[in-house]
Amino acid sequence: MTRELHTLVCLKVVPKSEEVGVDRETNTLDRANARSEINPPDMNALEAALALKDRFGGRVSLMSMGPPFVIPTLRVGLAMGADHAYLLSDRAFGGADTLATSLTLARAIEKLGDVDLVLCGEESSDGATAQVPPGIATWMDVPQATYAMDVDFEPGQRHLVVTREVRDGEEVLDVPLPAVVSVKVSCNEPRFMDAARFALLDSEASVTTWTADDLGVDPEHLGLAGSPTSVAGLKEAAQASGRRREMVSGTPEEEGRILYDRIVEFLRGAGARGQEAPG
Amino acid sequence: MTTPVREVLLLDDDRWDRVLLATKGEAAACYQCGTCTATCPWGLVAGASIGVRSVMRRAQLGIDGWAEAVWRCTTCGACEQQCPHQVPISDVMLGLRSLAWEERGVPHGLSSVLWDMHWDGNPWGRPPSARSAWAAGLDIPRFDATKHAVLLYVGCTASYDRRGQKIARAVVSVLRSAGISFGTLGDEEPCCGDPARSLGNEAYFDRIAQANTKKLAVENATEVVAVSPHCYDTFTRYPGAGQAFNVRHYSQLLRDLVAEGKVSFAGVEPSTVTFHDPCYLARHHDETEAPRTIMAAIPGVSLAEMERSREETLCCGGGGGRMWMETLPEDRFATARAREAAGTGASYLVTTCPHCISCLEDGASVAGARDLKVMDLAELAVLAGIGDTAPTEASQ
Amino acid sequence: MIDPAYSPQEARGIWVFLEHDAGVLAPVSLELLAKARELATESGAELAGLLVGGDLSALEATTARLDLDRVVSVAHPLLTQFTAEAYAHAVDQVIRQQKPDIFLLGATAYGRDLAGRLAVMLRTGLTADCTDLALEAATGLLLGEVSGFGGGVLATIRCEQHRPQMATVRPGVFPEPAAVDRAAATIDRPAVDVPAAKCPVKVVARHRKTGVDISRAERLVVAGAGARGEMPSIEALAQALGAEIGATRVAVDEGWAERERQIGQTGVIARPKLALVWGASGASQFTCGIDQAEMVVAVNQDPEAAIFESADICIVDEVAPVVKALVAELKSRGGVE
Repeated sequence: MTRELHTLVCLKVVPKSEEVGVDRETNTLDRANARSEINPPDMNALEAALALKDRFGGRVSLMSMGPPFVIPTLRVGLAMGADHAYLLSDRAFGGADTLATSLTLARAIEKLGDVDLVLCGEESSDGATAQVPPGIATWMDVPQATYAMDVDFEPGQRHLVVTREVRDGEEVLDVPLPAVVSVKVSCNEPRFMDAARFALLDSEASVTTWTADDLGVDPEHLGLAGSPTSVAGLKEAAQASGRRREMVSGTPEEEGRILYDRIVEFLRGAGARGQEAPG
Repeated sequence: MTTPVREVLLLDDDRWDRVLLATKGEAAACYQCGTCTATCPWGLVAGASIGVRSVMRRAQLGIDGWAEAVWRCTTCGACEQQCPHQVPISDVMLGLRSLAWEERGVPHGLSSVLWDMHWDGNPWGRPPSARSAWAAGLDIPRFDATKHAVLLYVGCTASYDRRGQKIARAVVSVLRSAGISFGTLGDEEPCCGDPARSLGNEAYFDRIAQANTKKLAVENATEVVAVSPHCYDTFTRYPGAGQAFNVRHYSQLLRDLVAEGKVSFAGVEPSTVTFHDPCYLARHHDETEAPRTIMAAIPGVSLAEMERSREETLCCGGGGGRMWMETLPEDRFATARAREAAGTGASYLVTTCPHCISCLEDGASVAGARDLKVMDLAELAVLAGIGDTAPTEASQ
Repeated sequence: MIDPAYSPQEARGIWVFLEHDAGVLAPVSLELLAKARELATESGAELAGLLVGGDLSALEATTARLDLDRVVSVAHPLLTQFTAEAYAHAVDQVIRQQKPDIFLLGATAYGRDLAGRLAVMLRTGLTADCTDLALEAATGLLLGEVSGFGGGVLATIRCEQHRPQMATVRPGVFPEPAAVDRAAATIDRPAVDVPAAKCPVKVVARHRKTGVDISRAERLVVAGAGARGEMPSIEALAQALGAEIGATRVAVDEGWAERERQIGQTGVIARPKLALVWGASGASQFTCGIDQAEMVVAVNQDPEAAIFESADICIVDEVAPVVKALVAELKSRGGVE
């Protein structure tokens, strides 16, 4: 590397999953009482970036798409050791599916101009599509390595060695930079933040906010307008309100039989829809 | 004759500076007598001694090599109590831990505990909205300084741990039976910060202490009573402790009530009871009499002391953040302690700390002490039918 | 709106990506094919299976006998080993030529990688990890049911103006098809251009799963103190369910399972879909290790056991007879995929 490594970590501030419900009257998401957190796999992505910075130097930037109220949560990432944060905030970004979201992030990353590596969590706890990292990579026309458990870097060469999880085991990829890598949740333990730094952080100085105008993307490609998919319906899943605590009793044989039925039903994905179990 | 191999240790001034700063130079007074190593309960368990003396020496010289020992320390204080030069050994251990946080050399799993405190307000990773679930049906009022004499501080373990919740309910029962007006902060109750302090993250603990001191001021809470000795100890370290507010462990409040004749007990079936002094009462706060005064007032209780009692209590193994670390079965002090308790012939092992209860129940199980029932002092008080002033029938 | 690669009016047919490794088709591809056959029958669409790889001669023969109408076989030396960039480059060409209406892939690492890149290249909608698929009555549009917020919320997604309508589906969601006996379907072999420049990533090594790592297990059978003496049944149950074995601290201390299988605060934080917990009291240091499971079944003979607070299905009974009964059910009524 003739210049320092600049890693950009995409962070999403999400509501705590267990605190999100569905408004039964309007069938829309109710996240009014849900606390915010950094999407857990993104914490692992940030830890991976900081570990690379520990070993090889360079800079770590954070990027997040969301409303201004996420800024205090972004400060957590800065207190962990990131150098600067970019917030993409504009009503025009709202309602975006993964196509529009990954486009917005990709154009913002390209605007920075000197990003070598984009690190993301494998998926976000809310939508859980895992599509944004490959989406960013494709919009940027760079290679990707998803579900990474380990990211190693060869100083002096512009490539990564990534160990990732696949269907029947794992594979090791040689990935030229620039690239997008998504990491498996819990692939590392995110370092605790510097509490003193957190208290002193000045958001003005450390967080740059960009709007749609700053990115110069065709507004038809942003937000709801730029989203080929739409939500046709929404409902609360059966087990959303804490654990069901359904008591099953009888003779051990009866209990075994009922358990078998419940397990098969669940594995078929029918648990939430109450479909009859086959067999 | 072969030349003996000598290990050359190069003293690094920068390293020495960092270690000195982290430990506030408190290891300086150590003159290497080794009493600490001899006293440390780690010496009791199978083949593992943490070499306290060696850690102090390394801290004086700024030479690394203390990592394992530093994380095993339960901050029980047995060593510093015996130290002829009053070296604050626990503080040196915590200082070295704080250095480990700065240098990212902390054992796996501990960052997650602090993240749980940050995101969820408790080290167990449980939601804040479930913090007062233990109190369902008890109608405990939200603390109001204009109405309540005492702010009852429940703590994370008594709030969320199933066994700890029974202690919380017993303490509530005791306070009500004694006619004390109190309230809690409900789901808003913040973590006292003890796990941050015990795990050595000084910076995080300082922030929590400042925030909680402000919270107490906003609530106008001047009398705080804690269920756990660890929370009690932690509150005494806040800015404002002893001035803006007073804090006591519940056993101290109960002792006062007993001594003043304001409560009495109906009694229990004649039982032999032994008492395990929590380190954070007996040694860190010189409090050994409160529980004994209370038990002496309970008809039917016959106290059979263990040899290692009062200031010489044997640590249960749960302090110093050890509740969030793994201790192999052969290394658990609580097993030896449970055997010691069973050896007194007691049918009840009474203590007054949620961590001690947890460790000792595990210890009794591993030691096979089936006839030994581990109980919190508040649970004993409830069993003994505590009531205000006049003796009453045994109550729930 | 962002311009689609081709319009709904031009789009025809349902395609299923037939993932394979070492000459064997991935089970999820077969499951998807069966579901796609249902959808194709409903709408009268043609059903095609898409094969991509290096040398596909053997696989072509196998797939041509599956319940589909046509095999689209895309072979190129640089496609011998899956990489997302190369596969997407090739498949993008074929899709633009043949314009399928619906394209389904298994939600495996490869499937999601390929789908994720293709959706952007084709500027189309992709619905991830569907737990069900259906066709909208009025419009014939594909409806994908997905869950979010850790499984707490179910949504139905549709893609109206863009093609192909893409969706990935988790393994085990749809049942495997019964075998069919049929004459071989047509095999088309469109040519694709795959320059080396479009294959920047190299696969340096591949390893099959070995060693004990229960953190990735989708299904867990957990032994607690109450499972004393029942490890053989626990192991049989795990085997029948394709599950990993986990253990509480007590079980590990007793030597019934390796320490790598310990679940909880000082062990593994698992994220299984299904956890069957046998004889564990449910102390918080343990439950934090399975709290993220989608479904928890708990069996314990103590009705006061804390584990019941953290379970969807609760059985107050001794572990031994119940685990034996469940194993017997699995033997007699067939295992689960």
